[in-house]
Amino acid sequence: MPTPPTTSTHATARAEDADAPLLAALRAGDEQAFATLVTRYHATLKRVARSYVSTDAVADDVVQETWLAVIGAIDRFEQRSTLKTWLFHILMNKAKTRGVRERRSVPFASLARAGEDAPTVSPDRFQREGDAWPGHWATPPRPWEDPERRLASLEAREYLRAAIAALPATQQAVLTLRDVEGLDSDEVCELLDLSAGNQRVILHRARARMRNELERYFDATG
Amino acid sequence: MTVDEIICRQFVEVATDYLEGAVRDEDLELVEEHLAMCDWCREYLHQIEATSAAVAEGASSAPPDATLQALVGAFRDRTRGDAPR
Repeated sequence: MPTPPTTSTHATARAEDADAPLLAALRAGDEQAFATLVTRYHATLKRVARSYVSTDAVADDVVQETWLAVIGAIDRFEQRSTLKTWLFHILMNKAKTRGVRERRSVPFASLARAGEDAPTVSPDRFQREGDAWPGHWATPPRPWEDPERRLASLEAREYLRAAIAALPATQQAVLTLRDVEGLDSDEVCELLDLSAGNQRVILHRARARMRNELERYFDATG
Repeated sequence: MTVDEIICRQFVEVATDYLEGAVRDEDLELVEEHLAMCDWCREYLHQIEATSAAVAEGASSAPPDATLQALVGAFRDRTRGDAPR
């Protein structure tokens, strides 16, 4: 299918859908293509769902409902967004419906704000009043040697996964959508009903906490 | 802001805003002056970027096999039921 001419940079970006090759196969009933799609997005969908509902079990239900809706609607998907964005919109509709049923749809933003003012780096790491340079590093970050190589091991990946799973649900959702799925901040704000500022605060808290975890891992593994 | 410099403890809280291009114009010069002077905060910023990249690489995890099989089964049933060819 030829790419329709467009002048919108947004639409141009959308045309680059990494999942586009899967779509024709999905429509043709290719089970392997569907398995690939599920494997690619299941964990992210679960993390995002979990930020809207109160338990893992309900989040599993929401993701299950999402996949069934995808199966039912894939022939009608019009490619006005990427397949990924479409998936997330279906998920959010299911999650919000369930969140309303659970009377838990509204508090997302207010929950996200809780603890917003707490420092993301331990105050112990900085010089105190009365020291030579108050507020400057006392225990600065030590450079990481070759992080890509050291994070390639199975053990390191397991550590990283566990650290992500231990983040508050809202931080997991934003971190996953931004840093794993590569959505831009506008898309994440729209999906999760967040202001731009709040989205950045949540993203920063998540990244800062993950940086602390990686630092601990690198220190412990020499 | 009326201060004429920022300190490390403040910089670490705006690292993501800086990467997102979201630091307010009136503060941007102070942030960049600090970064130019402070090796440690440059290292911190670098580590935040490295963390973001590490998360991107390490976060994927496949669904439980039973879940995957059940969903593929639903896909198969639907394909057979609705689209005979």
